[in-house]
Amino acid sequence: MNTMNEKIEAMLEKVQKAPRYTGGEMNTQVKKWEEAPLHFVFCFPDTYEVGMSHLGIKILTGLINDQPWSLCERCFMPWVDMMALMKQEQVPLFSLESRRPLKDFDVVGFTLMYEMSYTNVLAMLEMGGIPIERKEREEADPIVVAGGGCASNPEPISDFIDAFMIGAGEEVMLEVNQVILERKQQGLSREECLKRLAQVEGVYVPALYDAEYHEDGTLKSFAPNCPEAPARVVKRYVDNFDQAYFPTKLAVPYTEVVFDRITLEIMRGCTRGCRFCQAGMLYRPVRERSLETLVKQAETLVEATGYEEISLSSLSSGDYTCLPELIRELMRRMKEKRVSISLPSLRIDSVLKESLEETQQVKKSSLTFAPEAGTQRLRDVINKGVTEEDLIEKARDAFQGGWSSIKLYFMDGLPTETYEDLDGIADLAQKVVAEYFKVPKGERAKGLRVTVSCSTFVPKPHTPFQWAAQDTIPVINDKQEHLREVLKIKGVTFNWHAPHLSYLEACFSRGDRRIGRVLKRAYERGCMLDGWNDQFKFEEWMAAFVDCGLDPAFYANRVRDKDEILPWDFLDCGITKEFLWREKEKSDRAEVTKDCRLGCNACGIQRIKGLCAYADPKRNKAPSPSLVPYASEGGEG
Amino acid sequence: MRMLGVFEKNERVRHIGHLDIQRAVQRGLRRSGLPVAYSNGFNPHILVTFASALSTGAAGKREIMDVKMAEQVTEQEFLSRMNAAMPPEMQLSSARGVEDKHPALMASLKAGMYEIILREEVQAEQLIPAIDKMMAQEEIQVPRKTKSGIKDVNMKPLIYALRGEGQKIFATLMLTERESCKPAMIIEGLKRAAGLPEEEEVRTLVIRTQLLGERQPGELIPLEEL
Ligand code: SF4
Repeated sequence: MNTMNEKIEAMLEKVQKAPRYTGGEMNTQVKKWEEAPLHFVFCFPDTYEVGMSHLGIKILTGLINDQPWSLCERCFMPWVDMMALMKQEQVPLFSLESRRPLKDFDVVGFTLMYEMSYTNVLAMLEMGGIPIERKEREEADPIVVAGGGCASNPEPISDFIDAFMIGAGEEVMLEVNQVILERKQQGLSREECLKRLAQVEGVYVPALYDAEYHEDGTLKSFAPNCPEAPARVVKRYVDNFDQAYFPTKLAVPYTEVVFDRITLEIMRGCTRGCRFCQAGMLYRPVRERSLETLVKQAETLVEATGYEEISLSSLSSGDYTCLPELIRELMRRMKEKRVSISLPSLRIDSVLKESLEETQQVKKSSLTFAPEAGTQRLRDVINKGVTEEDLIEKARDAFQGGWSSIKLYFMDGLPTETYEDLDGIADLAQKVVAEYFKVPKGERAKGLRVTVSCSTFVPKPHTPFQWAAQDTIPVINDKQEHLREVLKIKGVTFNWHAPHLSYLEACFSRGDRRIGRVLKRAYERGCMLDGWNDQFKFEEWMAAFVDCGLDPAFYANRVRDKDEILPWDFLDCGITKEFLWREKEKSDRAEVTKDCRLGCNACGIQRIKGLCAYADPKRNKAPSPSLVPYASEGGEG
Repeated sequence: MRMLGVFEKNERVRHIGHLDIQRAVQRGLRRSGLPVAYSNGFNPHILVTFASALSTGAAGKREIMDVKMAEQVTEQEFLSRMNAAMPPEMQLSSARGVEDKHPALMASLKAGMYEIILREEVQAEQLIPAIDKMMAQEEIQVPRKTKSGIKDVNMKPLIYALRGEGQKIFATLMLTERESCKPAMIIEGLKRAAGLPEEEEVRTLVIRTQLLGERQPGELIPLEEL
């Protein structure tokens, strides 16, 4: 008999991209199994290249490995070729580091970044030797936990996860691990362990809650079924964002991954309040990292990784108070080391512009603007504070500054959208093109390229549009057809995606517990790696809905009532339902809400004393904001 | 000055392709903080070359990187700073400082020494005894992919030495910019000599153990010592 390791070696010779499964990258710690009592495997439900591009996985693995009492290994979703071989050779899904099957770990932790990775979670559990449904798990099985952005509506995947962490993972992760270590050391039962987990702030244990439904399918009640579980789960916040845990050693993959560079998270949250943006609602309040901290992190990371590029990340980097100072300081320090800085923003003052041209540390790749909607009316509906004048001015600046390539991001299917709004998109694109030709021929860069990308709007929980309906697929198809027509403009390329994936995303982002059955059924019908075009099987998904007797339109295309109990209502994510409804009503009237830097809008975060700098004007130490609309530098399209 | 660093590409990372190995070394050099020389231009990169590209799937015991330094450093310092900066899978075993005018390694490369491990015992029992038989032939014809399709070539003049032991084949094979013999060709030759069907798959682990240069015609020595 071949040992498992030999089988894996043989499989690696046959698959494409074997390094996806071999590990051994710089700065990945491999702790001895016996060295730490608690064994954690961090699972990313997508391929290695996608997973290793996320800062989160590197932060959490670092954090867990830094504790003497726990070790953390990694596991990614295998590609189809590898899965077929694993099945054939009966090799369970194994961790990169010690090649142990997932079921050998005490904790299996998933990060949920997007809904369309849920089938991968199921696949990884099954391949890893763990019962897919939490109800089927026995004492010897690992505790399966999950966190990440999608945990803000955990219900659709709650049949398969034992405990969710809501909010900032860094804080709650270690507390969860402590409880699971107690289980191991004191021989606690699974049930007892879950009850203890439910008492950790920010943890949701689905087994301890029951949902009842009305005849029409809407929620009748949702409540805990035992005293240990809190009626409302309050999300966790990072206590001190500036000083939050940061791994000094960041894994450096051998093979090229999607984002192969240093990412500096310069701030969290956003004050602009775009109504479609879930991250903007969930990651409130805005918190900036200090210049000193960022410069120190950048230097540490450059030394530890040898990366040749740093990119600044946040929801709206242009709003970072000392952005020019930060960039100047980074460029000064990185010049010797030949590290280039990707600028997230066009908010470049003239001094900076000159130094940019001198140092050549900044590449003139394409610039990205996100007006999101084609007319001022619709931009007011979504509270996107960008005007046509701003956009045109920025485009002019860019063309005069030697750029020739601009990307414009829009959404189709926004609430109240009409064909006039779609024509507005073409109109904007046309005006941007005109700006290019206004620059004299000798002075402008060659090769004008205006790319208009349009994605289909997906209403998300915890946003003012959580009650809204998504356009049906035929409606979106018609709209996209129209856009293709009106965007036949010289110099303009139009990118769009068929709406099917967004449709399913809409079902699952606002789904309830029952839709978990559809998920499992779709998985059984062979749906996996749905985020990959060539793997996506829309018909199988629709068949799965039919099999389960559920209607996707109920989730995607239905307007919810004000009083309806929404599946995620039991989560307190900071912002209140009252605030969201207020915003929804303003949106109906195409009324804008001011940027939080101009004054508090009472979103709910102000209830937590001292959390938001702008909620209490006396505490507001930030310099007077310059509310310049922003654009961001491309490359991440 | 230039620094010749002898490094390992161990079995764990043997599936990493040459381009990625190059990048890993570049990043290792950056992490080391050693005073390396950079190219000019818009995307400056470290001036480092490799004696020979090792194919994806093969491990290497003594591969050589050739790094142009901006300042003098001692061999000791180069070695210790690089080893602190490289992952355990790619450690250096020695370093040698040479003058800028030292001939390019790629041009001096003559041969590579390989250890080819046959994964299946049964196949080893058939292939190892076929070594002597094959080497006794006047010509050893093996199929080789060329631009115009698959053609037979005579690989005998490309083999410096070949012997077997247990499940291992030890081979010293020509490896120059113009002409080279790949370990896979040896397996093909042995399959023919042993009378195994062409389509039979032989699973191997290839480890390149040493790169060789020529001190004087016929005398091969480790390339890094040349
Ligand atoms: S508390 Fe006030 S200022 Fe802070 S994010 Fe909420 S609305 Fe904006």
